[in-house]
Amino acid sequence: MGLKEHLILFKEYMKITLASAMEYRFNFILQSITMILNDAIWIVFWWIFFTKFNVVNGWQLKELLMLYAVVTFSYGFSGFIFGNRHHVANIIAEGKLDFYLGLPKSELFHLLISKSSAFSFGDMIFGLILAIISFSIWQWPLFLLLVIISAIISISFAVIVGSLSFYWGNAEETAKTLNLGLISFAMYPLPIFKGFVRVLILTIIPAGFVGSIPVELLNNFNWQWLLLSILVAIVFFAIAIFVFKKGLKKYESGNLINVRV
Amino acid sequence: MGFNKYYEVGKISLSNSFVYIIDFLAKSLFIGLIIFIFINLWKVVYGDSTSLIDGFTINMMVWYLVMTESIVTSQGPLLEEIGDEIRSGNIAQSLNKPYNFIVFKYAAGFGNTFLRFMLTFTIGAIITLIFVGGIEVQLAHLPLLLLTVLLALTINFLMIALLGIFTFWLEDARALHFIYQKFVFVLGGMLLPLELFPQWLGDFSRVLPFSYVAYHPAKLWVMFNWPDFVNVIMNQLFWIMIFIIAIALVYRICIEKISINGG
Repeated sequence: MGLKEHLILFKEYMKITLASAMEYRFNFILQSITMILNDAIWIVFWWIFFTKFNVVNGWQLKELLMLYAVVTFSYGFSGFIFGNRHHVANIIAEGKLDFYLGLPKSELFHLLISKSSAFSFGDMIFGLILAIISFSIWQWPLFLLLVIISAIISISFAVIVGSLSFYWGNAEETAKTLNLGLISFAMYPLPIFKGFVRVLILTIIPAGFVGSIPVELLNNFNWQWLLLSILVAIVFFAIAIFVFKKGLKKYESGNLINVRV
Repeated sequence: MGFNKYYEVGKISLSNSFVYIIDFLAKSLFIGLIIFIFINLWKVVYGDSTSLIDGFTINMMVWYLVMTESIVTSQGPLLEEIGDEIRSGNIAQSLNKPYNFIVFKYAAGFGNTFLRFMLTFTIGAIITLIFVGGIEVQLAHLPLLLLTVLLALTINFLMIALLGIFTFWLEDARALHFIYQKFVFVLGGMLLPLELFPQWLGDFSRVLPFSYVAYHPAKLWVMFNWPDFVNVIMNQLFWIMIFIIAIALVYRICIEKISINGG
């Protein structure tokens, strides 16, 4: 199946997403505002923290706002467009994958885009507002590129840990904890982590590339780290596809009959 | 032939409870991860020095966090449960039973909440002992500290239950829960002791009920003294009373709104 067909599928799903957001307007707006408030309260926490301590290993409130801009925008964007990324384990374990297997589109792509979250939309808006405050117009192209890299890494990570369900049975809790772990590490400045943990979050749990490395690049651009970030995104993307495809061969359908309405 | 089916049933039931335990553990382990991240953060802030920040050593700071996190995250999905019962109309069935719905929820859930508190605290304590070290607490104070923790868990329960009842008006009260949690995280002093706040914000947060869930009991845990203890207990009881009255009032208004269709 070609790229064009997938784009058409994507467009149709976006239409459904927007239509349902409009239909349940009140809930959509409420959930978006909730998330914006939620993110804003975290900023209050960091404001208190940096009012007290000023600089922590070279990071100030300014860097932290940049971190939140990158992470909330990339995370919100992923959740709004690829809303099923955190439900992969559950979908496999409960046999709900059947629906996608019968259709002539890439299963993984179709699965990921077939859900969208209003909470994520709030994240996206919050990230956008922070980015407008934090970045000059010249930084925007780099910001957007880094957001895409960050999103590819976190979505690929989610697919990899979700695919554990192919091998373990129900890996829902494990996947959830690992996804939460990734985003938690990503929401704190990289310079506070040293030694083994630092290696961990720059490799197996690539949280550094989801948040802090983009901030460092926006502050102090250097080609090596940008190329490395792109490489990490490609590697995780490839592993995600590989693990999912391989798992799919082991997949045993459930006998659950689903009606998607 | 014959016994195989029983073996399979046994296996399924065992794996069900196993999933439940994993689920239970995973949540506490996640809190352990957050504590670990904060240990890293505090180590950078404190550096190598043994200095005090607003009266806290690094050990006190981390043990304070272990206590606040364990209290705040121990409540089960109470709000979702109340919301489900209201939305599905099941609440009608408990109206003609000889018990109060909210008190019933409290009694039914408290054991679980306390168990989770103990589990999270244990995991947090192990991580802290490994990466930071211990803290001095007098054995005689433990029962008193336990009392403030139980009262803190109760205030947390009451505030969430109150929000849960708002589901009568708000269809989905999860959003409120989300924001409530963040208020406890920041203004309740779960993440940072109120001493570190700008003066005005610290003073403001100190009198809010959120701080009686996290800040006050955890501060006693790392710096016990009698006048503070008496003060905290009195205030906790005061807030418990206020919230019981508020719940009773709001609940009564809601019940009057209920219309029961059929049986």
